[in-house]
Amino acid sequence: MSSRVLTDFDLLLPGSLEEALEILDRERGAVTVLSGGTDLLVMMKAGFEADKVMSLALLGDLNRLEFDSATGLRIGARTTLAQLVDSPEVRQHYPALWQSARIFATPQLRNTATVVGNLLRGSPAGDCSAAVAALGGTLVMATAGGGRREIDIDDLWVSYGVTARADNELAVELRLPAPDSGTASAFKRLTRVNEDLAKLNVAVCLQMDGDTCKSARFAMGCVAPTMIRLPAAEAIVQGAKVDDETLARAAEAVQQDISPIDDKRSTAEYRRSVAGVYLKRAVQQACGFA
Amino acid sequence: MTELKTVGKSIERVDIKAKVLGTAVYAADIKLPGMLHGKIVRCFEHAHAKVVHLDLSAAAAVPGVVKVLGPKDVTSKTYNQSVIDLMASKTEGAMLGDIEEQHIFTEHVKFWGDGIAGIIAVSEEVAERAAKLVRVEYEPLPVYITPEESGHPEAVQFTPHKPGNRAFQLPEEMFPGNALGWGDVDKAFEEADLVIEDTFYTPKQKQCQMEPNSYVALYDDSNRLNCWTSGQMPKLVHEKIARLFDLPMSRVTIHQTVVGGGFGARLGMVLEPEICAMALAVPGRPVKIQQPREEDWLTSPSRHPARYWMKIGFRKDGTPLAVDAKSVNFKGGYYLDGSALASTTGFWLQGMYKFENLRYKGESYFTNQPVCGAFRGYGNPQTNFVLEQMIERACVQLDLDPLEWRRKWHKETGDMSWLNATPYTSCALNDCLDRGAEVIGWAQKRKKYANQTGPKRRGIGVAVGNHTSGAFPMILEHTTCTVRLNEDASATVLVACSDMGQGAHTSLTQIAAETLGWPIEDVRLETGDSDANGFDIGAHASRTLYVGGAAIMKACQDARGQLLDRAARILKVNRDELDIDNKTIFVEGEPERSVSAVDICRTGIYNFIDHATGLPEGELGQIQAYVSYKPDQNSPPFFATFVELEVDTETGEVELLELVSSHDIGKAIHPAICEGQMEGGAQQGLGMVLTEEMYFDERGFAINNSFTDYKMLGASDMPKMTSILVENGDPYGPFGAKSVGEAGVVTPVGATANAIYQATGIQFTQGPITPEKILHEIRKRGLTYD
Ligand SMILES: Cc1cc2nc3c(=O)[nH]c(=O)nc-3n(C[C@H](O)[C@H](O)[C@H](O)COP(=O)(O)OP(=O)(O)OC[C@H]3O[C@@H](n4cnc5c(N)ncnc54)[C@H](O)[C@@H]3O)c2cc1C
Repeated sequence: MSSRVLTDFDLLLPGSLEEALEILDRERGAVTVLSGGTDLLVMMKAGFEADKVMSLALLGDLNRLEFDSATGLRIGARTTLAQLVDSPEVRQHYPALWQSARIFATPQLRNTATVVGNLLRGSPAGDCSAAVAALGGTLVMATAGGGRREIDIDDLWVSYGVTARADNELAVELRLPAPDSGTASAFKRLTRVNEDLAKLNVAVCLQMDGDTCKSARFAMGCVAPTMIRLPAAEAIVQGAKVDDETLARAAEAVQQDISPIDDKRSTAEYRRSVAGVYLKRAVQQACGFA
Repeated sequence: MTELKTVGKSIERVDIKAKVLGTAVYAADIKLPGMLHGKIVRCFEHAHAKVVHLDLSAAAAVPGVVKVLGPKDVTSKTYNQSVIDLMASKTEGAMLGDIEEQHIFTEHVKFWGDGIAGIIAVSEEVAERAAKLVRVEYEPLPVYITPEESGHPEAVQFTPHKPGNRAFQLPEEMFPGNALGWGDVDKAFEEADLVIEDTFYTPKQKQCQMEPNSYVALYDDSNRLNCWTSGQMPKLVHEKIARLFDLPMSRVTIHQTVVGGGFGARLGMVLEPEICAMALAVPGRPVKIQQPREEDWLTSPSRHPARYWMKIGFRKDGTPLAVDAKSVNFKGGYYLDGSALASTTGFWLQGMYKFENLRYKGESYFTNQPVCGAFRGYGNPQTNFVLEQMIERACVQLDLDPLEWRRKWHKETGDMSWLNATPYTSCALNDCLDRGAEVIGWAQKRKKYANQTGPKRRGIGVAVGNHTSGAFPMILEHTTCTVRLNEDASATVLVACSDMGQGAHTSLTQIAAETLGWPIEDVRLETGDSDANGFDIGAHASRTLYVGGAAIMKACQDARGQLLDRAARILKVNRDELDIDNKTIFVEGEPERSVSAVDICRTGIYNFIDHATGLPEGELGQIQAYVSYKPDQNSPPFFATFVELEVDTETGEVELLELVSSHDIGKAIHPAICEGQMEGGAQQGLGMVLTEEMYFDERGFAINNSFTDYKMLGASDMPKMTSILVENGDPYGPFGAKSVGEAGVVTPVGATANAIYQATGIQFTQGPITPEKILHEIRKRGLTYD
């Protein structure tokens, strides 16, 4: 049962990245990072006790959104969904990500919620998470004393709500690879009503050579404890001509990749029934024959 | 009739500025000096249990806790949080079996979240911290979710008054055979060419009014109990609270704050007993309860979930020979308005079509779920979901046009209405059907969608209904009104009618202004103070405009008459030769023979002696008029809804394309408000049929008592909507008006189900019709229209 009253906590407001990293180093697991807070505050109202909360609000230079056609997209830890939606480059070069940001929640939420927060919540329903999992990329982690490591998106989610982030690490930036002329991507989701968390979401990214798919990354949410890739389906599409027959086989193959359950938002039966349909539609949308 | 000046116009709402600017004062906004905070300790360990031992000592020891209250620290009197029982006579109430079995804090937990104790502290935070320290030992009891479980002979009894946990069935004394209706249903089925039969389920839907529940109470230094609440029936709550705490009504004041939506959730009491018990425990100090939204799902009544069986027999030509039906609803933990819903569900059935024979049985069983009570439509959307789908099925099987069938067989002016006691006073349903069908393009689309291929299938559906304007003659109807003309002739109208956001205060002001002949600025409604206002039932049964409006109209006619009488004496003419314009009273045809209404009103109050004559300058007395008004009709409005949608047969998803509702309003006092009611109603009706349901796990714990997982349609989910007001006038309603408050929710339910039927060839009997259910059936049966 939620409460109208948050439990007591200390709010830490570092004024620089160095200070933030020092706090994390000193406090280790005892401090919880607050970015947009759209996940964290909901959890705290529902009883999650965070004694110390470190806000990133004063770390202004973390909200960058920079595109370079050679190196790709850099998304700062404080970059909001609204910033993505407003970016013509994201819209043009990373349709899956842009679409996931555009349908995300409500304008109020989009002004507050961050892409990186979505990844680090570690929810199997995260919409940007699905898009990033399909597009591929790395999350840059910083530690005190100038330490840096990059976590491949494929290695980020360990289990439900658990990520590969060490407790002295702060995610500072998300890097997405540069697209080439044959890159096609798309995102789709199913919800109970439009403004809702997904009961199933899917993102696809294909490197196309004419009608033929050179390589593919498919990600699906709400069908396993974490956001997952769909290797069986990817294998069928890779190297094949993307036509109705291939897509039908890929849609079939999804069944091997997923292990959905019944929960508040839908049923395992339903998710199994629509997973293939939605994968097929996402690929069709990406390749422009929706 | 002379030309109307404000009635019929969409004037600026009287409450709009304060609401838009955020200055309107809701109960949650109230802060009084020295105010304490109350917290109700609820049982979240069990949905059914006995409290064996309650230890409040650790909670009481928390610094800042002022008082802890267990069941024995508050009145031992029992009550019924609903107020419907007050509206039946003693004899009738006894026949219906109304009971008062609720305790402020219970020792027999009947649903997950039932209140067991109270904490009063200096802050909400302290109260909450203390609540966590309450130690309770429970004896768990078996959890009953269905009537079969709770009705089992060995089941634990919820109350000794209701053997077998049957909260209600239509009483034999009033309904022989425990059934309502007429004719010989069984015999009629033998003659029928087509008999169809099915069992449906309608979900536990929540009102989700925008304002969460907040209350403030103060037992003040003059020994009066004050309660600030946004209840929609303040006068009946006034009496209930006085009774519960053995106080004369003169020592209880209910201050009605701005009401942020009701839809039935605030019909009667929600936490008024708890907050008043707390205030009485700390005399002289105000106490406030602000309930988290999640608890509102558990503590204010929802729509009754119900199982609804129906069997209908037709002749080949479509003649509806007989209907036999039984609805069994899941009452939740307490009785509340237990006698009402199972009855009205059948009333809406008997009021709709010209069945030659009809039999309906209604029952209600206690279950270990949060309480059920009033919800906009009061059984009508449930009946619409079932009846309109059954009619549709019959039309398909008999190859009859569903629109034509409805046009032919619906009840009409003069036919017996829903209670089978008074005739319909007016009916414009055929106009509603004609105009709605034209706007949505019914004939073309219906034909076009009969043959489709591909994964996306469209459907168009229609449903009709009628409702009531007030509760006459089923239960009590009564509104009092006092009109006072001020020194400058402007009017103060004292009336207890509630504006729950539906706009009633605006429409009622229009009626007063129109009747008096004054501009709207010169009329003020004084509401919300149980001392100042006389009796009014409150907002339910779509009665406020029809009954409250008529009471105001009568009182204003009286005040106007008094004014004209005085003018007649001054002008030395008969009263009926006079007319009023712009606050000037003049002899018709001789406008120069006139007297100012302001002068008459002023002289009545500032009544000086004319020194020249030694006589008063005019008649003494502030003009006041009073009525106690009981209607003798209920002018039911009729209505029709058309829904067009598209079903994605690969995912079961429904996309709503267009909704057209037409409503036989009689006369729209404020057209924009009427349209608002229709659109808001459509949103709730569509929610009921498509997405909204409270559900529980096998322990009886609520799974989705929050907006995260209880899904209402948002603005972007809504279809294009058109609301058509058919204004043919009713002979009884004020200015010819009939109700519109509840109606809007009803027919979107049946029309949507029927549109899904046309699109898929499948009828869904279990609401809400989710993509999960649609896809499951499509996979199982295939698209039967293929
Ligand atoms: C009404 C509502 C609607 C929503 N709708 C959607 C939706 O449509 N789709 C969807 O996917 N989600 C939705 N969400 C969930 C939520 O908004 C997203 O997950 C959002 O992206 C989280 O971002 P944030 O910045 O608010 O994260 P926060 O709540 O601040 O943080 C989330 C988690 O990540 C950690 N974290 C954040 N930033 C860092 C960092 N830089 N380094 C280390 N750890 C970090 C935090 O400690 C926390 O555990 C919704 C939430 C609400 C309340």
